[in-house]
Amino acid sequence: MNEQNEKNFGRRKFLTRAGKAGISIAAAGTASCLLYDAKGPPGQTVKAEQLVTLPDFSVPTVTGQTMSIVQGSDRKHTVTKAIELLGGIERFVKPGETVAIKPNVAFARPPMLGATAHPELVAAVVELCRKAGAKLVYVTDNPIDASASCFTLSGIRKAASAAGARVILPKAHHFKHTTLADGKLIKNWPIFFAPFARVDKLIGISPVKHHARAGASMSMKNWYGLLGGRRNIFHQDINTIIAELSMMVKPTLVILDGTEVMMTNGPTGGSVADLKRANTLIASCDMVAADSYGCTLLDLKAADLPYLAKAQNAGAGNTDYQALKPILGTA
Amino acid sequence: MDSVQRRAKKLESVVSISLLSILVLIAIAVLVKQSGYDMGRFGLTTETTSLKTEQVPLSSLAPAGFETLSEEVYIADNLYEKIDGKAPLYIESGFEKLFTSRFINKKDENLWMELFVFDMAALKNAFSIYSVQRRADVEILPDMQFGYRTSDAPYFVHGKYYIEFIGSSESDELFEAMMETAKKIQTNLPVDKAAHIPELDLFPQEDLVVGSPKLYLESAFGFEGFTNIFTAQYKSGDETITAFFSKKASAVEATTAFESYHKFLIENGAEIKAATNEALNTFGAKVFDFYGTTEIVYATGPFIAGIHEAENQQSAEKLATILLNKLNEAKKNE
Repeated sequence: MNEQNEKNFGRRKFLTRAGKAGISIAAAGTASCLLYDAKGPPGQTVKAEQLVTLPDFSVPTVTGQTMSIVQGSDRKHTVTKAIELLGGIERFVKPGETVAIKPNVAFARPPMLGATAHPELVAAVVELCRKAGAKLVYVTDNPIDASASCFTLSGIRKAASAAGARVILPKAHHFKHTTLADGKLIKNWPIFFAPFARVDKLIGISPVKHHARAGASMSMKNWYGLLGGRRNIFHQDINTIIAELSMMVKPTLVILDGTEVMMTNGPTGGSVADLKRANTLIASCDMVAADSYGCTLLDLKAADLPYLAKAQNAGAGNTDYQALKPILGTA
Repeated sequence: MDSVQRRAKKLESVVSISLLSILVLIAIAVLVKQSGYDMGRFGLTTETTSLKTEQVPLSSLAPAGFETLSEEVYIADNLYEKIDGKAPLYIESGFEKLFTSRFINKKDENLWMELFVFDMAALKNAFSIYSVQRRADVEILPDMQFGYRTSDAPYFVHGKYYIEFIGSSESDELFEAMMETAKKIQTNLPVDKAAHIPELDLFPQEDLVVGSPKLYLESAFGFEGFTNIFTAQYKSGDETITAFFSKKASAVEATTAFESYHKFLIENGAEIKAATNEALNTFGAKVFDFYGTTEIVYATGPFIAGIHEAENQQSAEKLATILLNKLNEAKKNE
């Protein structure tokens, strides 16, 4: 009897303890489920209603006047001719409009190294806009390096100001969050927004450069400057981010400068030995087409740059630039 | 204590150990997740302003007539802020820190230069980053361990450091100032002067293009598995031929690399062709037609070696044989 009681007691004791252990596990599991934050710390993410979208700055298509390619060594002459071949600056800028020009000012490097848009080219485009009657012309970028140094040492601040533009350096309050519809990477991400929020037109200006990660940096990659935050994380999926930028930004016009092309050691370069004179300038309403031609100056084919096909598939433009019958000229 | 109690105790121990194991696993999972924590994902930035330039005495490097305008230090986490898309190249090559300093002429503010001192952790890494970015048609700087100049700036390796400059213009005055700073670096920045790269001695010297050796730490010739590959160029009449080799940890590893590269070439359209050189055939070297160029690859001891995209098969085979003999000698001396 006594032996039987001890046996029962042992089983009861075991069941009680096992029950307690089970309750403890269940409680811990429930608490974990309740406390788990799938989104992580809120950081700088914003609510959906606070997200912004860049306006569409494009102009109506004119068949046969989508892209021009001009040969010449003087950037002021080539850009004037290239825009003239597309119908003149009046097609793109109306009197009284406000224009934002976004040159590539990514680095604090002198113009002779070709790592940034050439100041003479920026000044020439500012002058054309002013001539067309633009009320205000802004020149702005969100450089990766210290912005004041980038604008000063690249010569763009001085040249743009002298031509009558207002240079805007990025400030924290210029950034707003956006989400690209159908985007994989641009989701609730800060972009350099304020200078573009109220302008009527947007013109991109970029040099043709080799890029260690992307293969080439041209018109589409130029919009990388609009990304805020720790945008370097996108280098891991560089083709997707460039394609998404081409979906996010719908510029009025892009100017692609192949007067001197950075053939190696891009995107920073560092020596005039990295440059090759190609004396070519492209103006285009289709930046995918512009870059598809521009990469030939780097001895590449459009197929060598996966982001071009991605952008075309997303409807951002046409890699078959020849189908657009680019207008050729010399200046 | 009867058998039931003993069994219950044993079961309790098992349950307790299981619970503790679960907790340990959860702790490990948290630690693993935390190790990959990316502040950028949450819009946070890293603190780098507190970094000091204690390793490189930048201010002492200003050339005469120039003063320091700014000094900066970058680590792997924020290197992209300075060199954007080129940052991964450095980081994958062992980068530790970048020290930069901008010097401005005291009399002419338009005359300035920026010094970049990349701490690459080891001479081999510094040589790799120097060599893969080396410009064509340059003048070799004989006083440097590895160095050259273009028309606007010098570039060189000093121990574990890779050094370059940019200038506001192409001018003799600025270039002289850069060279003055370069000499100060050689004098003031202590490095292991005995360090050298023994692999570079394995290239045959005859017809070697001076300054042409390169080291690809990753993905040489577009093949991801091709690591630690040394290349050098040779003159053969009007043609320039690229020879390559890599020393692996063992003969087995070299054979595996040989087979992988062989497979990679075939998958990418290369076709095997017969070697005209009997020695190469006997040795088991593979000769490929790769879109009209000749590719040769073989393994000997711990070495995988060959010729890359040569225009002329005979010249390629001749150089491949000379390299093979040199590597076989090295193999014997080990």
